[in-house]
Amino acid sequence: MKISNLEKQMGDFHLHIREMNLEDGLVHGLVGSNGCGKTTLSKLITGILTPDGGTIDYEGLTFRDITMTSQKPYLLHDTVYQNLIYPLKIRGIRPDEEEADQWLSRCGLLDKKKQYARSLSSGEQQKLSFIRALIFKPKLVIVDETLSNLDPDSTELFEQLILEQQRKRPITWITISHQLVHIKKICDRVHFLERGEQLAEGTPEEILLRPSHPAIRNFLSKTEVSFRGD
Amino acid sequence: MKQLFSQFFGTVGVLDSIRVTLIMSFWSTLIASVLGIFLGLLLERKDFPGKRLTVRINRTLMGAPPVVIGLLAYMLLRKKGPFGSLRWVFTIKGMVFAQVLIITPIVCGMVYSYAVRTAPAIRAFARTMGADRTQTGRLLIREMKNEIYFAVVSGYGRSISEVGAVFLVGGNIKNNTRTMTTAISTLKGAGDYYEGIFLGVVLMIMAFAVQTLADYFRKEETGDENF
Repeated sequence: MKISNLEKQMGDFHLHIREMNLEDGLVHGLVGSNGCGKTTLSKLITGILTPDGGTIDYEGLTFRDITMTSQKPYLLHDTVYQNLIYPLKIRGIRPDEEEADQWLSRCGLLDKKKQYARSLSSGEQQKLSFIRALIFKPKLVIVDETLSNLDPDSTELFEQLILEQQRKRPITWITISHQLVHIKKICDRVHFLERGEQLAEGTPEEILLRPSHPAIRNFLSKTEVSFRGD
Repeated sequence: MKQLFSQFFGTVGVLDSIRVTLIMSFWSTLIASVLGIFLGLLLERKDFPGKRLTVRINRTLMGAPPVVIGLLAYMLLRKKGPFGSLRWVFTIKGMVFAQVLIITPIVCGMVYSYAVRTAPAIRAFARTMGADRTQTGRLLIREMKNEIYFAVVSGYGRSISEVGAVFLVGGNIKNNTRTMTTAISTLKGAGDYYEGIFLGVVLMIMAFAVQTLADYFRKEETGDENF
């Protein structure tokens, strides 16, 4: 996927991505301080927002191939199971209950299958939203701070699921996270945003361990003191 | 007893007033709900010059005195009015027309207020799931069904309790356009308080039955607490 001169004005904030390449089948990490435009960019890619200018070349992908999960996911007024199979239903795919159970079991939600989804804890809701995004086999998944506020075991589970998926059937991921350890562990490419612009793009080592841009060094020095020693 | 029964039901046409009330409230609530839900969702979705003014006018109409709306409906429907050819004055159709004018802004305003808070999130979710326009519209209705139902029940409540507009447009004609509320008013005028209270109790039972139905549809959504 290629992004060129993408612009969006949101109040006082202006997003302007001159050039961004999101190579197919890789895990991309979007990094930057709060309000730098990560979520706005994600919403533009999914089509939730319409750009003011510029282009996104999806290279054959349609909106049906793209999905996104967020820190506060939207859950239907329905059971856990019905939430999980919703993307299948709207695609006219008959849900395979055994497969759905496997996904639920993996996240420790099998015994809550018939429970009202909104009665789950926030961590469980994030897990449900994550597997719901994967069940219909999308080609691009955007994970917008879904790992925030999760316990270490759950974060590890998410990382395992992403890496497993990449081994089985590589898809494109865009993950937004302030957990730089997680970004370093799972991402192939890192894109650093600052005030609505992409300042740098490279491997996690290039961006997070040997940052050339002073703004990135400044960001890293403030965000995770222990990160470099990891 | 028989004499008392026939005197009571015969004097003000109690059974007919119940029949007229049921017909009128059913059709006015149905038409106003369809219009109100559609307009409420449309108002939330579309941005246009004067939108804030439109919302303010709608909110004003939500609290407009029914007798004023009734007068307006009468002016529109009377023989020399723009809709005079319909011959709806002093008919149930005319009363439904007046009630639709009263209830539509209520349903529209309630649906709009809720949609403003929730529809953007539902629409964004639908987009990330790959839903098309029809599926998104269906999802919006499904996810907002409780609030929509509440708006409809409120509209129905207004319909069965309203006196002024149906009096003006319907004319309170015995066995024809007399509703339970206008019958109560007539009974009070005649000093028959007990019969008036009886009709009032029937009205309350009708409202209770609708509310019970609403609770029945909502029962699956218990245990909404987060832990």
